[in-house]
Amino acid sequence: MTPATGVGRPGFAWAAPAAVFFGLFALVPLLLVVVLSFTRWNGLGSPEFAGLENWSKLLDDPVMVKSLWLSLVLTVLGVVVQTPISILLGVWAAGHQRNRAVLSAIYFVPLLLSITAVSVLWRAVLDPNFGVPSQATWLFGDGNLFGVQASALGVLVFVSTWQFTPLHTLLYQGAARAVPQVLYQAAQIDGAGRVRQFFHITLPQLRNTVVTSTILMVVGGLTTFDTVLILTQGGPGTDTTNSAYYMYQKAFKSFDFGTASAIALLLVLVASLVSLVMVRLSGYDKMRSTMEGV
Amino acid sequence: MKRHIRLLRTAVVGGASLALTLSLAGCGGSGDGAGGDSDTIRVLVYGDATNKVEKQLVDTFNKTSKVKAVLDTIPGADYQSKLQTIISGKQAPDVFFNWGGGSIKPFVDAGLLMPLDDFIAKDPKLKSDFLPSVFDTAVVDGKPYGVPMRGTQPVLLFSNEKVLEEAGVTAPRTWDELLAAVKALKAKGVTPIALGGGDKWPTQMWFQYVYDRVAGPELFAKAVKGDKDVWASADSRKALGMLKELIDAGAFGTNYDSVKFTDGGSPALLATGKAAFELMGSWEYSTLQDAYPDFVKSDLGYGAFPAVTGGKGNGDNIAGNTNNFYSVLKSTEHPEAVAEFLKLMYSDEFVKAQLAIGNLPTTTNTPKFLDTAANPEYSKYQYDLVKKAPAFQLSWDQAFPPAATTTLHQAVQQFFNGQSDADAFIAAMQSLPAA
Repeated sequence: MTPATGVGRPGFAWAAPAAVFFGLFALVPLLLVVVLSFTRWNGLGSPEFAGLENWSKLLDDPVMVKSLWLSLVLTVLGVVVQTPISILLGVWAAGHQRNRAVLSAIYFVPLLLSITAVSVLWRAVLDPNFGVPSQATWLFGDGNLFGVQASALGVLVFVSTWQFTPLHTLLYQGAARAVPQVLYQAAQIDGAGRVRQFFHITLPQLRNTVVTSTILMVVGGLTTFDTVLILTQGGPGTDTTNSAYYMYQKAFKSFDFGTASAIALLLVLVASLVSLVMVRLSGYDKMRSTMEGV
Repeated sequence: MKRHIRLLRTAVVGGASLALTLSLAGCGGSGDGAGGDSDTIRVLVYGDATNKVEKQLVDTFNKTSKVKAVLDTIPGADYQSKLQTIISGKQAPDVFFNWGGGSIKPFVDAGLLMPLDDFIAKDPKLKSDFLPSVFDTAVVDGKPYGVPMRGTQPVLLFSNEKVLEEAGVTAPRTWDELLAAVKALKAKGVTPIALGGGDKWPTQMWFQYVYDRVAGPELFAKAVKGDKDVWASADSRKALGMLKELIDAGAFGTNYDSVKFTDGGSPALLATGKAAFELMGSWEYSTLQDAYPDFVKSDLGYGAFPAVTGGKGNGDNIAGNTNNFYSVLKSTEHPEAVAEFLKLMYSDEFVKAQLAIGNLPTTTNTPKFLDTAANPEYSKYQYDLVKKAPAFQLSWDQAFPPAATTTLHQAVQQFFNGQSDADAFIAAMQSLPAA
């Protein structure tokens, strides 16, 4: 036996623990959810077969359609707001100056806090009568931030941004540090200023990181739940009820597990579709290295 | 060959870790099984400050009983959903806390609960020692399923006396006086009524009272049984019109949907004089006592909801949480022990312990001990109110089964903030599942 054949690909057995875990905690529940989505069940007794009832009700349900829209809006807003901020902060933090290192460490703090605690905190800060809005009426008017759809969505996006920008900043910081210095030196010799360097060297070199970070944001955006639960409870009315929260309401407030399972599946389908499209568009599947000489 | 050895090794490691996981899961399983120990009854309650009394009663019970009671608690917000997931399984308790009405109806339908007729036949005091309007809340399909086990919580109109005085307003006894008070207070630049609209159930309290005053308790009693026509009746539309008038008069200000009771927002408005009234359950008193003791001492006022002239509902009717109840599972192995345990709920010890922490029990022996209450005057006021009330409307979201709560809460919020009109509200209410 030559050494070359001994260094083969790792055997399938190495994947077994992960595969078993994935099967037990992802595939089996997913299958159960598929089954449940065709039943009527309130958690008591055994599920009753209901055929396509849950699905036909759901497709006629204006709140369901609206919730998918809201999930999409929250996701898109999240990406659009967070990406530029984290790129700029990340590139800035990539510099080796001492003040930047100190400030970067401080920027990182929100990520260490629990999203629940962060949401509770912002809810208190934004109280219309005793919080910041009462002191800045020129900006907030009557302070009815949670009573109007636009501002309620705004608060949700703001709080997620506050919490998760540090994570993406970290990604960009690492990526920006990996950009070879010779590229900048060459550009300098050619007379490119800092802005041109940013747009023509840094941004193109960060391309793969943009894809990674965007996928993380999209996944996070589609499944936004904690902030909705604590900040708005889906209100006013159903104006911030996204699909994840709607599913929770159906399952654990209304005890309609059949409908909740159908919503969950719908969300899985939509998320799969979105990620498929993203992988295709970004060329993530045939990603190549952009490093010089590699 | 080498490769096979490696494969074998990984298989063993993988298998071992899998076995470990499964055995851990197995541990969990056997732990659950131990819960069904044959010499105990498990008592499940909503976890909060009142648990102190429940603990004390369990101890008292265990002193004399061969079958021991074990107290389990589930923290507040998760109570109903956790209960629903364990009640039909192996972890089901023998006795559990609930709100009567719609909160136990699904369990009755699923055949999980024991009607208490036999217990009452053996000991009539299990029924006769409680105020009837309260006891009836846990009667489902004509059979009693619960024994009152905490305090009653009627909804009262609380006020800031100092603010009222400055605006030259007295506590309103009629709807018209309330409208006049709103006008006077607005002119003074005060938000007339604090409302924690973010929680939604405080908004619902206004519907409960206005519907009761206009149409009497019969309208809702029919609605909850599935009569959908009553929501479109003239009385229903009149009630909605009155609410609309109050909202449009600016009674609640404009930002109430961003205010919550649960984070202390709306009681703070009342206590700091930014608002003059708040319609809230009797627990408002202890909430304010904790946060603003000086305000409670000097300026806190409380009274019944205003009467509506020409309405069908008696002005003495009240709404709110009649009480909490202990219900018994059919599957219990120790019905005699459970019956003995329930008898403690009308004992002198129970009444004294509840009064001491500010709760108001609804037993017939309560008046004897009212002087020992944390706030005797307030307790006496409430007890008389409940005793003389011809009808005690259970909170709508508890009278309907849990499946209705989300739609109900959204409907009241959307009517208040103008997203839906009377027709949309009526349609939403007609879509609710019957109890």
